[in-house]
Amino acid sequence: MFIPAFDEEESITAVIEGVRENIPGATVLVVDDGSDDGTARTARGAGAIVAPLPVNQGLGAALQTGYLFGLKHGFERFAHLDGDGQHPPAEVVRLLAEVEADRADLVIGSRYRDPDLAEAEDYRPSRARRIGTDLFRYALSFATRQRFTDTTSGMRAGNRRAMELFGEYYSPDFAEVESLQRAVRAGLRVEEVPVRMLPREQGESFLSPVKSAFFIFKSLIVILVGMFRPRHPNGAGGDR
Amino acid sequence: MNPILAAAAEPTVSLSTQTRVIAALIAIGFMVFILDLIRRGRLQERYSVIWFLAGLALLAGAAFPGLLEVLASALGVRDTNVALFTLLILFLLALAVNFSVIISGQAKQITRLAQENAIAKADREFPGGSGKSGGESGDDGAAE
Repeated sequence: MFIPAFDEEESITAVIEGVRENIPGATVLVVDDGSDDGTARTARGAGAIVAPLPVNQGLGAALQTGYLFGLKHGFERFAHLDGDGQHPPAEVVRLLAEVEADRADLVIGSRYRDPDLAEAEDYRPSRARRIGTDLFRYALSFATRQRFTDTTSGMRAGNRRAMELFGEYYSPDFAEVESLQRAVRAGLRVEEVPVRMLPREQGESFLSPVKSAFFIFKSLIVILVGMFRPRHPNGAGGDR
Repeated sequence: MNPILAAAAEPTVSLSTQTRVIAALIAIGFMVFILDLIRRGRLQERYSVIWFLAGLALLAGAAFPGLLEVLASALGVRDTNVALFTLLILFLLALAVNFSVIISGQAKQITRLAQENAIAKADREFPGGSGKSGGESGDDGAAE
């Protein structure tokens, strides 16, 4: 279980405790993406292992650090969720269950899959966010010919095949969308599970309007380019 | 006769001796500057070649102004200025893309270094991946 975190001092302890409670026995790794606050110290205090990136490298690079750590130490399964408290650890258990049952290689926690759950009272996306989300959804569904509802979800779980694929290459920026495309093209079984997400407890979302537009634009280019990449017929790092 | 038409009809590049000397001095000064950057370790040799070639081109232009005319006619351009600026802009464009490529490569290397460093630090808190650390054995564990 790993948690990418950037300046999440306020919320990280609760997240770690939530994980411990819901997934006892999990090794909790917090990837501290060059935070300026006491995220690393706080996380250690809460009993997590901390992988501190010396300078801020972006979410993708932080996640890849987690994958590489998992591969190095021979973990069979992984899960990650955001360090800001938006992702209830209890929901991750259901994701892991899918992986454990070998029904999927990569499982995404989707805010939108089950309208009853998502639209209830917890997670209410802004209108701009909604547009971006829809755009990604259609682009990715078109590119992969598989239905996706929540392409930017940072709550995921997977097995070793997914770790190998993402450890080998993971775009260092906000690469949630592209990583899904690559997973599908690599022949991984990707599945969505409806989850509940909470509003952010602390901190600002990284998306300002201009950044969002840039992010959307970039991701669409990436998807376009990705459509012309060669497929890996055997999945990630060969057919192990 | 209209002087503009006269100038257009006569496409030779004519530089005064003074202009050519100044251009040559600038070119030589530029190359010395590049060499000095290398000497002081501010510029790596592998990135200096292109600039040295640019200096040489500048020098050649000063020594043989007719070269520009040859280039212009090769491009099918009547005005040598247009030829000059077109080539310069293309050159700078190529250079800028080249730098973007170099920067991307370096960003990748830096990321990898940061990750290796972070993992090495995390390893110290996570003994060996085999032993138990503080009673955890890993849900994703090697037990599977």
